[in-house]
Amino acid sequence: MDRFKTLTTIIMAGGRGERLFPLTRDKAKPAITFGGIYRIIDFTLSNCFNSGIRRIYVLSQYGSFSLDQHLRVAWNIMHPDLGEYIYSVPPQQITVNRWYRGTADSIYQNLNLLDQERPRQVLILSGDHVYKMDYAAMLDFHLSREADLTVAAVMVPRSESRSFGILSVDGDSRVVDFLEKPAAPPGLPGNPDFCLGSMGVYLFRAGTLVQEVIRDAKQKDSHHDFGRDIIPSMMKRLRVFAYNFHHPATGAPHYWRDIGRLDAYFAAHQDLLGEHPVFDLFDPVWPVRGHLSLSPPARFVSGKKGVEVSDSFIASGCVIQEAMVRRSVLSPQVAVGPGARVEEAVLWDGVEVGAGARVRRAIIEDKVKIPPKFSLGFDREADARRFPVTEEGLVIVPNNVVLEED
Amino acid sequence: MKTILVVDDDLNLRNLLEEELRENGYQVLVAGNAMEALAIVQNQPLDLVILDIRMPGMDGLEALPRMLGLKEGLKVILHTAYSQYKESFMSWAADAYVVKSADITELRAKISELIGAGQP
Repeated sequence: MDRFKTLTTIIMAGGRGERLFPLTRDKAKPAITFGGIYRIIDFTLSNCFNSGIRRIYVLSQYGSFSLDQHLRVAWNIMHPDLGEYIYSVPPQQITVNRWYRGTADSIYQNLNLLDQERPRQVLILSGDHVYKMDYAAMLDFHLSREADLTVAAVMVPRSESRSFGILSVDGDSRVVDFLEKPAAPPGLPGNPDFCLGSMGVYLFRAGTLVQEVIRDAKQKDSHHDFGRDIIPSMMKRLRVFAYNFHHPATGAPHYWRDIGRLDAYFAAHQDLLGEHPVFDLFDPVWPVRGHLSLSPPARFVSGKKGVEVSDSFIASGCVIQEAMVRRSVLSPQVAVGPGARVEEAVLWDGVEVGAGARVRRAIIEDKVKIPPKFSLGFDREADARRFPVTEEGLVIVPNNVVLEED
Repeated sequence: MKTILVVDDDLNLRNLLEEELRENGYQVLVAGNAMEALAIVQNQPLDLVILDIRMPGMDGLEALPRMLGLKEGLKVILHTAYSQYKESFMSWAADAYVVKSADITELRAKISELIGAGQP
């Protein structure tokens, strides 16, 4: 029997992604390009697909067209006649006349979907995380504990706890406390230097979820957020467990990244590269489905000088001519001209790097034309006058600017 | 004095409840359909709504979340001749579910539990 027959999956994909500005100025965060040929939501959707989940609602809101378009083009692979689907659901404003006030409110506003499905469990995921996870294993854990709610969690060093919602657990993984970005949380039983950070992946008993989001909708002082309101309110009254997302044999935490900030977006790209990448996309067991492009294979052209490419992803349709590309991710149809140097950069579709130009530690949006001999990422002050520059010195080049030759 | 809105398409039942609840010391407003009821919820101070489910046009389960969206903290009792709507997730947003009966003791008790006794 289909083990997911009684499960409904909902992916939250409506956040505005302000900390990824300007990349998100006209797109939903889950719809922005990642890893050359993917959109961020492809990782969560591929997890669903590889886990055997075939019935998915994607709750969109901000920039919903970009997301909807991607789902139609890249994910039109389900068979509704067999009960499979990926439906994009913007705020319908049928029952209430407002946008989603928070993650919990987005479920409250869509209770009619759950009423139609009548699932026994509801899996709630986020559309802006990069990881490979088998949700079937989490479902087994959830059922074995007879849990009302299971929260997936990843081990993080206690020193990094300020970036996470931290779950404090007992020896049976039952959640006894939830601390939002604490300075000094208690360590794990048996592993005191680590604590458990919530991944924003929730598996609910369906009836409990409905009761809790209704209760929350009536709270005047609530943020209507799963992490801030629902979990803290539930853990004293109900059976809430943490599912440790780690390798069962070695105990090492699996890879999981929340692509919340520009620096995190960039760092996660670096994790894809090298001989033994931290996050390996060359994994036959867990394929990630991306955005297919009808481009020819990438072309490297040598003339008087050769082409030097190392530790990089080069998508189809790219043309690299007598140039150097190092530790970079190039989306389809990027052109790098003679004598140009591209290092530690993320170049979206159709970017052109002119002859002799130098690009370092930059994220460049689709179709930006870098003029010949232009220099980017070498003079922080000059960059900052023209483009957003992050704390860590990354230069972001949005495609609504025209670059002029130096 | 606490104010109750009775929403029911059955005129006789509306009149009966209006009379009974007035005698019990509540101020009572009435509406014969959901749209009329939503207009009252939006424009008048209220403490509780007694809401029928099966009505022509918009039914009570559709009206319920709209009412809650219009007025935070509003108490609602679903009042219906049918028990099967208890299964519907939408009905869980109500504070109580009372199956209609000739004897309104249960309804009266729920009202009192939710907003306190009337002031005769």
